[in-house]
Amino acid sequence: MPQALLRWPWASLRVRLLLATLVGLAVALVLAGFLLQDLFQEHVRKQFQISLTRQLDQVTARFTLNPEAAPTVDARALSDPRWQLPYSGLYWQVDKVSPDGQYRSALLRSRSLWDSTLHLSHDTLADGAVHLHEANGPQDSKLLLLERTVQVAEQHGDIRWRLIVAADLQETRLATQNFRQVLGLSLLTLFVLLALATVAQLWIGLRPLREMQRGLKEVQNARLPNLQGQFPSEIQPLVNDFNRVLDQNRTVVERARTQAGNLAHALKTPLSVLDQAASRELNQHESDLADLVQEQVASARRHIDWHLARARVSATQRLPGQRTAVLQTVQGLVRVMERVHAGRDLTIDLQSAAVTAEVTWYFAGEEQDLQEMMGNLLDNACKWARHRVAISIISPSPSTTPLQWCCTITDDGPGIADTHLNAVTHRGVRFDEAVPGTGLGLAIVQELAELYGGRLELGRATSGGLEARLCLPAT
Amino acid sequence: MRILLVEDEPTLRQQLRLSLQEAGYAVDEADNGIDAHFMGDTEPFDAVVLDLGLPRLDGLSVLKRWRSSGRTMPVLILTARDNWNEKVAGIDAGADDYLTKPFHTEELLARLRALIRRANGLASPVLSCGDLVLDTRSARVTWQGSPVTLTSHEYRVLEYLMHRPGSVVSRTEITEHIYAQDFDRDSNTIEVFIVRLRKKLPAALIETVRGQGYRLASGK
Repeated sequence: MPQALLRWPWASLRVRLLLATLVGLAVALVLAGFLLQDLFQEHVRKQFQISLTRQLDQVTARFTLNPEAAPTVDARALSDPRWQLPYSGLYWQVDKVSPDGQYRSALLRSRSLWDSTLHLSHDTLADGAVHLHEANGPQDSKLLLLERTVQVAEQHGDIRWRLIVAADLQETRLATQNFRQVLGLSLLTLFVLLALATVAQLWIGLRPLREMQRGLKEVQNARLPNLQGQFPSEIQPLVNDFNRVLDQNRTVVERARTQAGNLAHALKTPLSVLDQAASRELNQHESDLADLVQEQVASARRHIDWHLARARVSATQRLPGQRTAVLQTVQGLVRVMERVHAGRDLTIDLQSAAVTAEVTWYFAGEEQDLQEMMGNLLDNACKWARHRVAISIISPSPSTTPLQWCCTITDDGPGIADTHLNAVTHRGVRFDEAVPGTGLGLAIVQELAELYGGRLELGRATSGGLEARLCLPAT
Repeated sequence: MRILLVEDEPTLRQQLRLSLQEAGYAVDEADNGIDAHFMGDTEPFDAVVLDLGLPRLDGLSVLKRWRSSGRTMPVLILTARDNWNEKVAGIDAGADDYLTKPFHTEELLARLRALIRRANGLASPVLSCGDLVLDTRSARVTWQGSPVTLTSHEYRVLEYLMHRPGSVVSRTEITEHIYAQDFDRDSNTIEVFIVRLRKKLPAALIETVRGQGYRLASGK
């Protein structure tokens, strides 16, 4: 049981497919998310760097030496207002590099740097080359720095100037963060949409399977003989095979039944001959042999009937798609009884809800078996009845499971003593040898009813005769 | 009473014919459906014993053809298959009774007697006309309680007359019902049987209706 519990989600094709798709989707979307975020970050940083380089170019262009050979940067000529705003996040600084490699920091600074300086490690740069650094700036900000060393042409000596521009990375961080949020949301939405699409796809894709399931249920409940309708090309062969198996099953059962019938038929004519011969012999003189023959013929006949009935049921029993219209079958039997007993003052009264109401339900089994059961009961009732046999068929009530219908057959004959009621359904018991019949009738009915999961109850009718109540599965 | 016996199994047919003849019936035989149909269609039988499994034309078809051409004689079908379908089909095709093989001869004879009686509108197996009593079960005839010994032909003639109380029966009709087809029939022999019957029974019992035939005097 626990194993079954562990296994249950995998038993469903839908759950399997859904889970596999969702896991795949999630992995793909997370990977895509990381990749996109990286690409974006890279791009933003590049843009940032490009704009910072432009700022450096501006600063470089405004960098001159005044007549006192002191470096100046015409701050007013720099267009960006952030240069003037303290701690605005955009800074420049000019360092002096002596020929011996000594640095003098912060010779000139942008107004935005206010009272702090940019600290940059010593670096040897080729003339005009631009280096990129990251460093801490004022107020614990993260800065991206660009440095460039320049040498003023008209100045003598090997003095070089290092120009630095820096910008706060906060901006790019914000942009990246923003992007990450939007990206995450978008990917999540995409995931949800794709998941919904998957569910829809599975629902549509697996619909033929559900239809097949429904069809199988119909077959099981004997409402249809086989699976009907067109299925997708992947399933149709399966459906065809299944239908073929059903047909074959039916054919095999039919053949087996026919052969059993043929065997019985083939045996019965010789048995008749034997019986007739014995009977003629006995008419002329007493003969032990003739007695024996008659006795054995009767016994053989009982065996044939018994096993034929049994073989038929065991062959039919679990065959799906079997159903028989009850009323029609019973009416046929009543016609037989009325004709056969036409010479007697006998009324057969058939009462059924189905005669009046338009209710369709069926006996869940083979027509021959229903005929065998009802026929034997009716035959028995008519044989014993004085004037009247009443048949009452009660429709199944939809609340009971399994669905069952019952039929009561009563006669106004002598009935069976209570002590014998049980024994009479036992094999081959025969209470009155004077009444023709095999004596197997009720026992066969009982056997057949039980094989079908129904039952036969015998009791005393109010009229004094036998009341037989037969309950059988309906569909 | 004349019976058509249709059965394809030769041994069984012979046995049944002997049993039927011993019971006082005139018996015609057929071993296939085509012959059976023709005989039943052209000869007046008082009853037919019809096996359903027949060569050339099955019993059910034979029966249906008879009924559709207006033949109403009682038909008892013999089935080897203990199959209600066949019984229902047989009854619906117009059979009057069925018997499942193997069966006892007594059972067959009892059913036949009942069928013939029913066909003539008689209720009891014991036919009576005044003091004359004929028990179809034992083929015994009594007059005022004492048994009357009859030959089989005399019995057949009397039985036929007693099945038609009050009606005039022609000599030809009697001939057709007491002899099988293959018998060398001569309707003059009927006169001989009547004369003998009149000797064994009160002479006034069997009236001669001039130009028409005979009638059993009723109410005596």
